[in-house]
Amino acid sequence: MEAASIPHPAAHAEHEHHGPPAANRSSRVEPQLLGMLLFIISEIMVFGAFFTAYFFIRIANGDPWPAHGTTLPVGVAGMNTAILVSSSFTIHWAEQAIKKGNHLGLKAGMLTTFLLGCSFLFIQINEYANIGFAPQDAAQQTIFYSLTGLHGAHVFIGLLLLLFVTIRAFRGHYSPEEHRGVEVPGIYWHFVDVMWLVVYTTVYIL
Amino acid sequence: MGRQQRPIVIAAVSAVIAIAIGIVISYAIHWFPAQASTQAKESDTLYHVLVIASIPIFVIVVSVILYSVWQFHMKPGEELKDGPPIHGNTRLEVFWTAIPTVLLLGLVGYSFVVLRNNEKKPAHEIQIGVTGQQFAWSYQYPPSVTGGAAVNSNQLYVPKGTSVDFAMRSNDVIHAFWIPAFRLQEDVVPGITTHWRTTPTLTGDYPVVCNLLCGLGHSLMRSTVHVVPEAQFKAWIASQLSASSGGSTSGGASG
Amino acid sequence: MAARFRAPGFYRAALMMLGGVLFATALTWIVRMATGHATFHHYLSPDAILTVSLIAVPLAFLVGIGGFDYWFYWAAGRATRPEDHSSHGASSWKDYFRINTDHKVIGVQYTVNSFFFLLVGGLIAMLMRAQLAQPGSHFVDGNTFNGLFSVHASLLIFLFIIPVFAGLGNFVIPLMIGAPDMAFPRLNALSFWLLPVAGLMMLGSFFAPGGAFADGWTAYAPLSVNAPIGQTFFALGVQFAGASSIMTALNFLVTIITMRAPGMSFFRMPLLVWANFATSLLVVIATPFIAASQFFVLLDRALGFNFFNAAKGGDVLMYQHVFWFYSHPAVYIMMLPGFGIISEVIAVKARKPIFGYRMMAFSLLAIVGLGFTVWAHHMFTSGMAAWIRIPMAITTAVIAVPTGIKIFSWLATLWRGVLHLDTAMLFALGFLTTFTLGGISGVMLAMVPFDIHVSATYFIVAHIHYVLFGGSLMTIYAGVYYWFPKMTGRMYDERLGKWHFWTTFVFFNLTFGPMHILGLQGMPRRVSTYASQFADLNLFISIASFGLGLSTLLFIYNIITSWRGGPRAVGNPWRALTLEWQVSSPPPVFNFDRVPTVVGGPYEYGVPGAVHGIFAPAPSPTVADAGAGVVHAPSQ
Repeated sequence: MEAASIPHPAAHAEHEHHGPPAANRSSRVEPQLLGMLLFIISEIMVFGAFFTAYFFIRIANGDPWPAHGTTLPVGVAGMNTAILVSSSFTIHWAEQAIKKGNHLGLKAGMLTTFLLGCSFLFIQINEYANIGFAPQDAAQQTIFYSLTGLHGAHVFIGLLLLLFVTIRAFRGHYSPEEHRGVEVPGIYWHFVDVMWLVVYTTVYIL
Repeated sequence: MGRQQRPIVIAAVSAVIAIAIGIVISYAIHWFPAQASTQAKESDTLYHVLVIASIPIFVIVVSVILYSVWQFHMKPGEELKDGPPIHGNTRLEVFWTAIPTVLLLGLVGYSFVVLRNNEKKPAHEIQIGVTGQQFAWSYQYPPSVTGGAAVNSNQLYVPKGTSVDFAMRSNDVIHAFWIPAFRLQEDVVPGITTHWRTTPTLTGDYPVVCNLLCGLGHSLMRSTVHVVPEAQFKAWIASQLSASSGGSTSGGASG
Repeated sequence: MAARFRAPGFYRAALMMLGGVLFATALTWIVRMATGHATFHHYLSPDAILTVSLIAVPLAFLVGIGGFDYWFYWAAGRATRPEDHSSHGASSWKDYFRINTDHKVIGVQYTVNSFFFLLVGGLIAMLMRAQLAQPGSHFVDGNTFNGLFSVHASLLIFLFIIPVFAGLGNFVIPLMIGAPDMAFPRLNALSFWLLPVAGLMMLGSFFAPGGAFADGWTAYAPLSVNAPIGQTFFALGVQFAGASSIMTALNFLVTIITMRAPGMSFFRMPLLVWANFATSLLVVIATPFIAASQFFVLLDRALGFNFFNAAKGGDVLMYQHVFWFYSHPAVYIMMLPGFGIISEVIAVKARKPIFGYRMMAFSLLAIVGLGFTVWAHHMFTSGMAAWIRIPMAITTAVIAVPTGIKIFSWLATLWRGVLHLDTAMLFALGFLTTFTLGGISGVMLAMVPFDIHVSATYFIVAHIHYVLFGGSLMTIYAGVYYWFPKMTGRMYDERLGKWHFWTTFVFFNLTFGPMHILGLQGMPRRVSTYASQFADLNLFISIASFGLGLSTLLFIYNIITSWRGGPRAVGNPWRALTLEWQVSSPPPVFNFDRVPTVVGGPYEYGVPGAVHGIFAPAPSPTVADAGAGVVHAPSQ
């Protein structure tokens, strides 16, 4: 305790202590897990702000929905919903597999999830290309593109995470003891899926 | 015991004197511009009530600080001394939670009474349109006011003693239509029509100010409201009507 | 040379930033080409390139400086390594200019960086007061003036007050709760480096075509939608500053929840930790809203979306709801950590336990909860539905109650204490005075008919400065003086510090006090000229403000000379009980040789034999579950 100046880490690394004392764990929750949950709260609030915009444009102002002369492809989007929801099951399967030490199951599960996510995004982009209206047309179109686009951006981020996990899975990382790296991105992916159900219900169905 | 209590008595007496002086000063200060509407009168009274309620609170806080500094500052030889380990006092804490709550809810209740009186729709009122655009105001007098064609003018005349409802629209960005002498303002928002109503009580010319940043010329987006007797108002309207009778419909249609 | 460009640092960052510009140019060119000549007259548009560059270049800088290195390793599937501590500690000033994962280094980086922006923001204020010294003066032109007050507010809010609290918290909180570092040290490092990026972006807007963003820090749509490109600097700068706050808040929350020392129950935490816990909750929940509000503006600006285009069904008031849903809680984000600092300072300097510790903690949580229910009191004159004013006025009045509880509890803590009236304590007492005034004018503003008159006038300018300068900045000064020995290992000059306090306190009140009257009299804010009836008061305010500006130089001089050559500080110069004072000044690289065990409350001054933490293994596990306010001092 008497050290008055900060010793240079490199110079002292060999003969003084090699690192900090292990931190006390004052909660049963894993720090990474808690961090991800808090981040998801933030994410929910981002969606909350976009839904506020949606509320003002569609409900407070009472503009017709969808805008006159436009239709939303409820069926195709419903198919897409099914794809995304099933990817939640496949990633769950991958997590269960690695908990049992089944590396093949992990790889297959991650790869399937990743491909399902990619097809969701592809169909979504295809929908944009063929939907027949642009966000510049009016406020309803703006908020349609913004909500689905915001969600699409989250799918994209989620896919990046899944890609990294898949790469690591194929390189032989993760074990029944150490699978937090699958679990934490998995939570994010579940969040993306649940958020889509909300977006789909409010934007397409209601 | 008596000697120990003396500083506290001195502090309490000074606090009471300070509160009294504060309240007197609060009446002496010339806070507001001319009070030119019924709404201004109500709202100024509210302000004085708020100030009178605030002064004792501020004086108490400052008195406790000054008294503590005076009586409890560290004296020579007390470098290692600690104060008494008082952790709290539930009764005191309940007291300073409950009293401010009651006081605040009382004040906010009173402010709602003032608000309701100020916004009450009278039996008779006239409507004048206000249009804000970068960086000027214009005013629309509908046929119900002029008795003839609608008049569009960049001058604002209102009759004394008649309730006026301003219907405000914006052509570009948000402005705020503020007449300090009436103590009233509201934003002028693109896409919607906003309102406020006032009954002018004092003839004279008062500034109209744009009070929401609307761009480069915001500082100069000013106008004047002329509060005039009813007869003079009618005469002014008549002069406007005759002036615009050539290009009759120009005023009303644009709004 | 090539190695220099490969290793994380400024060389690589410069290279990457160049790449960022090229990427932005190529991307906009490709997109514009793909969508065709019918839409775009030119394939190369300076505004489009600038907009994309403003996203790409800062990210490239962060990659270059090394903020993402570890995650790239992870993403590429390389073996994860536990924190190797090679980037801990700082042996020279150069170590403060690299990615550093040591929370103490990051704390200093944060604090110094924030004070840099305080000086810039203050200098801008001086320019504004020079312009306003006389009506109709032409010291700066109208557009520049609008830019000045917009940048002034944005810098001081997003680059000074919010991050400086995060900086002090970063340094102190892990020490206070007995943790060796923050929960996510790499995230912590990244969150710091986002700040200079955001700040330089906002300052850089002065060089943008059309001038700096000039729509106020509130950037109300639709004015901001049609403004020159400078506005984009704000919309994106806020994203970086906001991301930084969210990362730090997340880090604080996880650290406080999962890394407390044995025995450090929630009700044994120092109130600074409580305050940052509460603040972080606000940040995590509210900050996304300002991010979204600026996304909306950006989409309207850059891609022609219609969020705020009333002609196409957009809703202008929606901007204000979304904006204030963040920006009102932001007021508490800028105040609660200050409450924490004041609790530390007053308890230690009055040598008494904090009066009503539990109520102090609960009132913080009450403010967090109520803070989300008052946003529309900024919109009493906005033209929103009239009924919303009623619940908002009531909650606004009620939120003064927990704040009042805190003020009264601090006063009761002073009572019968042994007051050490040094600089930190003077600032704490000054804070109590000025913040009470700011609180009172705040309650007055909750009264709708009064607010209708003074909304957006100089009364508001006075109120916000009584809260943010008289409130936040006073607490920041108190905190900096209080922890200066701990952070630098040196003592500051007490005499200069007291001079700094008195000049600041006097000139502060002379500057901002008269603004109340200006507002009541009818002077709007955000104007570069005004009616001649306000000339006398404005001249007076300008002169006082220059005094206020000069008083800051005393502080800077004191800090710099003391840091370089002040007398060495002992570990615990204030005889405080909290854990950060139980280690050397400055603390060792890894904070503690052994994680301490907490055996009592943090403020047991005057309790015979009271101990807060010990550096030995816990005597018995039963100690850990006791509540606050109860002392379990080991028998001596």
